[in-house]
Amino acid sequence: MTPKRELQIAFGLIIILLLVGVISYAAFPAKPPEVPIRMYYKSVAGNAMFDHKTHFAESGYALDCTQCHHHPPYPENLDDAILKCGYCHKALAKGQNYPDSCLDCHDEADLEDSKIAKKSDAFHSQCIGCHKEAGSGPTDCNACHVL
Amino acid sequence: MFEQKKFTVSHAPFWHVGSSVSTRSYNIIFAALPAVLFGVFTYGIPAVGVIALSVSSAITWEIAFNKVAKRPPCIGDGNAAMIGLLLAMLLPATAPWWLVITGTFVAVIIGKQIYGGIGANPFNPVLVSLAILTLSWKNFLDFNEVLVNYDFSYPMAYPLASLKHFGVFAISNLKPAALLMGQQSGGIGAIFGLGLILGGIYLIIRGYIRWEISISFLAGVWITALLFNMADPAHYAGPVFHLVTGYTLIGAFFLATEDSSSPVNFIPMLIYGASAGVLTVLIRNIGAFADGVVFAILIANLINPLVDKIRPKALGKVI
Repeated sequence: MTPKRELQIAFGLIIILLLVGVISYAAFPAKPPEVPIRMYYKSVAGNAMFDHKTHFAESGYALDCTQCHHHPPYPENLDDAILKCGYCHKALAKGQNYPDSCLDCHDEADLEDSKIAKKSDAFHSQCIGCHKEAGSGPTDCNACHVL
Repeated sequence: MFEQKKFTVSHAPFWHVGSSVSTRSYNIIFAALPAVLFGVFTYGIPAVGVIALSVSSAITWEIAFNKVAKRPPCIGDGNAAMIGLLLAMLLPATAPWWLVITGTFVAVIIGKQIYGGIGANPFNPVLVSLAILTLSWKNFLDFNEVLVNYDFSYPMAYPLASLKHFGVFAISNLKPAALLMGQQSGGIGAIFGLGLILGGIYLIIRGYIRWEISISFLAGVWITALLFNMADPAHYAGPVFHLVTGYTLIGAFFLATEDSSSPVNFIPMLIYGASAGVLTVLIRNIGAFADGVVFAILIANLINPLVDKIRPKALGKVI
């Protein structure tokens, strides 16, 4: 191969692959699936990965959605009613008893003055509680958290 | 006065073998293709984006540096394209575009060109880049975090992270044969062990890499992992697991064998490869990182000039 030919190949690679790269990034951005497969929670106590699919899939534990997504308790339309955990379970400001997202569906007058658990507390309670009840699944800190 | 015929005398080599740097680079790229294509098949269009952007940006950085340094263009030798491809093989398919471009900048400019270009770099440019990316943006290289949306028929928890954080029990359901066939999460071109081995054998047969480095690296990993495993099988995984996970195989055949940062003599090559292998398992088992290949080979690069002092005895003697 002559040096000139080698240069032509290199410039050809720049142009073609740059085009392919830009088109791949711009036209085909990775879309998250509608129903999460795995979830990765970041925490100062060590990140934790939750295998969402294994919990709801028929081939896994086949749990009903409402066993974890508990509000509203008897939804008319399940698909619409499933809220992300963090939609309600979030850190509240001092003196705040419920997150602002409650007002999306409820009137302020209807809301009771009951504190909603923040996400980490809700997860710990839900995960560990269910695992203990079922007699399987991790319950120790370092079985979920990367310590 | 008779016409004296003058001969021009030059030093060896007197005959060119016909091979060139560009042939070498494109052969290494060719050898990497099975693993790369498997990665593309597994991760889809995002992997194509990372690979294409990485190769094109690596060549672009090199030609840009040539212009700035007022040197003749050296992109024709294919080395920058090879660096770009190898870096893409180590990255996750979800790597953002700026991470790829920053990575190739570090590899080509900081890892190679500022030392004087090809043949003058003391460290493997790809590993310099990946080490800096790992230390700077570790979340983007945490395979558990960035590959959460990929769903396959096999477990997608990064095997080395599972081992490090949850112990041998967490990897007990992983079969070495399945891991070798690419049924694991990891870098785009680092998951398909069989393809990497085939590529490595091709390069060894063609003489583009030295078998001494690859084999001693794998032997270093195997023996160290075996010793750990024998000492405490409940805490440390067996040697086969370490061979087929993480960057071990791409490290053995494509990274540790980088020519200017590895020794040239027989004994030094064995010491270099084995020390990188031993360090890999030490970092994995008792170090801070889930995978130790990147830093292990970089440290081995560091001892390269020293071990290469062990030379064959010269013929003849000076009186």
